[in-house]
Amino acid sequence: MTPETKHLTPKRIVLYGIALLVLVGLWYAFRPEKLFTTTHVNEAPPQQVQDAPTPIYTGRFVGEVHKTSGRATVLKQTDGSRLLKLSDFSTSNGPQLHVLLVDGHDPNSTKDFSLTAVKNIDLGDLKGTQGDQSYQIPATADLKIYNTVTIYCEHFHANFGSASLEEF
Amino acid sequence: MRFKNSMAGILLCGAMSAVSLMAQDGNIVATGTFHGDAHHTTGRATVYHTPKGEVLRITHFKTSDGPNTHVLLIAADDAKDDQNIFKENLDRVELGPLKGTEGDQNYSIPAGTDLSKYKTVAIYCERFNVTFGAAPLQK
Repeated sequence: MTPETKHLTPKRIVLYGIALLVLVGLWYAFRPEKLFTTTHVNEAPPQQVQDAPTPIYTGRFVGEVHKTSGRATVLKQTDGSRLLKLSDFSTSNGPQLHVLLVDGHDPNSTKDFSLTAVKNIDLGDLKGTQGDQSYQIPATADLKIYNTVTIYCEHFHANFGSASLEEF
Repeated sequence: MRFKNSMAGILLCGAMSAVSLMAQDGNIVATGTFHGDAHHTTGRATVYHTPKGEVLRITHFKTSDGPNTHVLLIAADDAKDDQNIFKENLDRVELGPLKGTEGDQNYSIPAGTDLSKYKTVAIYCERFNVTFGAAPLQK
């Protein structure tokens, strides 16, 4: 008998067997390797979504006094131009309502303000107080600065409601 | 007759512009962002309407490592960190195992799922019954 095989007495073989079973049992009970599950996937959007303009910013309207609600979404079109889309939209009646992009970092922008007090880009007359509608955004508009959509009543310098845009 | 034709033309134009408006919005049904502090979950969940049905698409996504993590739609306005959705017996729709802890991924939503009821996406670790993160969806 060589010195190595001398250690493998029947008793030891049984002990090693039990130890192995216990280890397998513990592994099976805890499956520690399953805790490390970092996986990166990169699925493409569904075909129909790929064909549509890409949303780049979005936000919900908030407006208590003049009840304004809905969603504002900035869509990037295939030609690179940007479109502001209002959906599920509703606001109050008022004279001379405009859609503005305003500098949301300015604390005045959340209240009623005069047009000279807050940096803004006028996207035109509000097309309707209810329903889906779109507005062209000038190519020069920096949406990092003009990061808030405001429904603005020019006649009374009233802020009817705002949607602060977050990255989509 | 000419009047009828022009009326039909106007109606057709109206119908066509309505259709093109609907197609223009990228067919977004609802969207929201993930929150989850204990298990660091971030990103955006968006439900798109496609001719093949509703699809949940998750983008800019990142969550923790965890065993047996699933994507659920739950019948709640939101979910808290670590919430035990199974124990609470919260109404839910199983969208399948999470495909990846990072990156963009799509999940089909079973036909007939009422999205006005199932308003929150939850990343749920079924092994430990823990909510990793949740995204409340809004129109």
